[in-house]
Amino acid sequence: MKISEISGKITALLIFTVLTAGFILTITEKKYNFSLKENRELIEFPEFTLSGLTDGTYGKQLNQYIADHFFGRDKWVSAQADIKMYMGEKILNGVYMDNEMLLDAEVSSREISKKNIEAVNKFYGNYIGTVYFTAIPSNSGVYGDRLPEYLLTNPERNQINFLYDNLTDGIRTIDTYNILRMLSDNYIYYRNDTRLTSYGAYYVYKTVIQKLGFRPSSYDKYTIQHITSDFRGNLYNRCLYDGTKPDILDICSYSGGAEVTNCTAYCNNGMTYRKTLNDEEYLESGDMYRMYMGNEEPFVRIKTSVNNEKKLLLIKDSYADCFIQFLIQHYSEIAVVSPEHMEKPLSSFVNPDNYEQTLFLLGIESMDNDRLFELINK
Amino acid sequence: MTYSSLLFMYGFLPVSLVVYRITPVRLKNMSLLILSMIFCIMDSLRLLEFMIVCTVINYLDGILIDRFRSRKIVPEVILITGILFNAIIFFMFRTDFPDIFRDRLKIPDVFFPVGVSFVTLTAISYITDIYRRCIRAETDIVKFSLYMMMFPLIIIRPVIRYNTFRRMLNDRKTTLSDVGTGFKIFVKGLTEKVIAGDIMYMMYKSVISVDIWEMSVVNAWLGMTAYMLSLYFTLSGIADMGKGIGYCYGFRFPNCFNYPVFSNSIKDFYYNWNIQIVYWFRRYIAKPLYELCGNRMYRKIILIVVWCCIGMWYRFDINGVIFGGITGVAVVSERYIRKFRILKITGIIYTYVITIISMVFLSGENITGSVNYLLVILGGNSIFADSMTLYLLKYYLVPLIVCTYCATNLFRSMVMRSGKNYIKTAIETVSPVITLLMLIICTALITYTGSSEFHLLRL
Repeated sequence: MKISEISGKITALLIFTVLTAGFILTITEKKYNFSLKENRELIEFPEFTLSGLTDGTYGKQLNQYIADHFFGRDKWVSAQADIKMYMGEKILNGVYMDNEMLLDAEVSSREISKKNIEAVNKFYGNYIGTVYFTAIPSNSGVYGDRLPEYLLTNPERNQINFLYDNLTDGIRTIDTYNILRMLSDNYIYYRNDTRLTSYGAYYVYKTVIQKLGFRPSSYDKYTIQHITSDFRGNLYNRCLYDGTKPDILDICSYSGGAEVTNCTAYCNNGMTYRKTLNDEEYLESGDMYRMYMGNEEPFVRIKTSVNNEKKLLLIKDSYADCFIQFLIQHYSEIAVVSPEHMEKPLSSFVNPDNYEQTLFLLGIESMDNDRLFELINK
Repeated sequence: MTYSSLLFMYGFLPVSLVVYRITPVRLKNMSLLILSMIFCIMDSLRLLEFMIVCTVINYLDGILIDRFRSRKIVPEVILITGILFNAIIFFMFRTDFPDIFRDRLKIPDVFFPVGVSFVTLTAISYITDIYRRCIRAETDIVKFSLYMMMFPLIIIRPVIRYNTFRRMLNDRKTTLSDVGTGFKIFVKGLTEKVIAGDIMYMMYKSVISVDIWEMSVVNAWLGMTAYMLSLYFTLSGIADMGKGIGYCYGFRFPNCFNYPVFSNSIKDFYYNWNIQIVYWFRRYIAKPLYELCGNRMYRKIILIVVWCCIGMWYRFDINGVIFGGITGVAVVSERYIRKFRILKITGIIYTYVITIISMVFLSGENITGSVNYLLVILGGNSIFADSMTLYLLKYYLVPLIVCTYCATNLFRSMVMRSGKNYIKTAIETVSPVITLLMLIICTALITYTGSSEFHLLRL
């Protein structure tokens, strides 16, 4: 037998075994609906419909199903990140991979929604108290110089400036970009996530609370508790690149200060329940960051033991979650509104005019969502 | 369904091989046809409908030409009807404007029958060959359907003539070693598509993401080189995957794409780029026109026009015409240049420059975009290089060199020329391991999205 024939036979058996094994393992492997590593729902076996077959969505869904439930998917995807790094290709699914930190490579394609700006201006027009607005840059904004230049055609600094320039004059904007930029040698952003660490949030708090008319408490007064050192955030979920070190989640508690006396969550369906500020159960889930503030609800009312009758309405996204722990030393009541989870207008949860101050504290990355603020004025 | 998807590789392919293996010999063609239909359905039911309509009409057309062969005019009318039908199909899907047909037939705008450009060429060659009495019309609908819609041929096919196909179909036998060779070619194609094609596409994308008037000359050249390599590896990769699958079922399809980079004339370049397409246009468009007029001057014009048609086949708009035109003029004029004895390297550089310039028109979004890019490539921005150039070279230089090397025939001719048996033995010995390794790497690269899509041209 010639060598080419032997080689052909070996290849045939080898590759056929691999393909068949892949097929059998994929069908027989236990199916999960949720990927902890990617923090997303996996697709279910597509339902067979004639219309799906006609326009080709059935085939696509079937392929997506195989991909989502492919045997050892997590390992394959991690391997993909490693292979790409070896090949010199540093961008995977819109994440710029670097051993120091992961960055959002699509930062320049973000467009600040005009509708959001109009909604905030309108809110200010109808409101009797003072409105403060803070847009927090993501890590790609503060560490933008790590990205290749061609990805920075529209840097976050410009996006924030555009937003601030278009808000009505009476709204007090608070700049955090330059402060965070100055502190960029410190651990102020997670390595695997776009958001701030507790330490970064403290500096945002320090700036913001002065504008709100309080004296910030010193960082030394806080007891720092390391909750976990295995946190992998939203950027990791998209690329599963293991080369970057996992992050630390901290809880800061003020020793001898005010405490939360009541924390009630209001759901969209009218249900209410009591919750704690931090929920360590989430450390077992795919999204450890949820540990701050626990389950996402449209409205949470926090009452504290502070005796000053000061009330704050906080309109926020997940960037503010680890920031709230610092606010409780200053207000007797904080109303926390997450517009992205609201399905009913704001007025059905709370009357804004009962609060003398309103603080918008959001990541600039949420501001390209057109529908973010559509319910705050109705 | 694309070949480079998990559903195909780890689902359809092994299952179809087993099904085909256990079918009795007389039903093998039928089972292959049914498998091909399932392949079409996985893309969409409309693709299957489209393929069936094309197959049936061309099948009947062929039979009718044969039937009325002795009559006057009638075969010509049938032939022209058939060609018109195929041409309309081609125009209907490759251009945007004939909405009249699409609306009448209630075809949704998003539907694009994959491989339509190849199907129409194949069909036209079939009916023309019957008319020219090169072949008799096929009466077995199963065999003819396989010619039109067999799944190894569907996406990008070598446009082979029907008698070649029929010979392959009737004399085919599959040995285990053939299947192995098939897998090797399939994985080679997969690697070309998923690694080389996609990485070059990323490089091209990063070049064109900056504003055109801030692009430096070096970037523009690098970007277009990346585009050319990406297009080559994508097309060649898909064609090789098809060829490899064909081997698994005993079909030995010819090569379409044959290592064009470092050719020393434009003609060689495009003959190695996709030889089957050039042959088709030569046989069915250029030859009949040559027969009409023998004048040497006219022949040159005809040649340029035929190249414009090839350009339009790749891209049906004015950009495609210009792409073909540049190539055609170069092919005609290099005959005169070649009379002077030139070094091989000058030929290579000349070919490279002309192909890059023609590729500018193939790649651009519209004619203005292409002209602007051409200006930049010629130094219109008066920036030679910038920080982006450093970035590109830092991350893409090695892939660029490796891809360029793989797109030349240097390795193959080195093995051939050395004539040493032990080199071939060594290659054969390590090939199963390399094939397996590449399959694993490519699988890892497509697992996240489930497939590696075809970005550049829709053919």
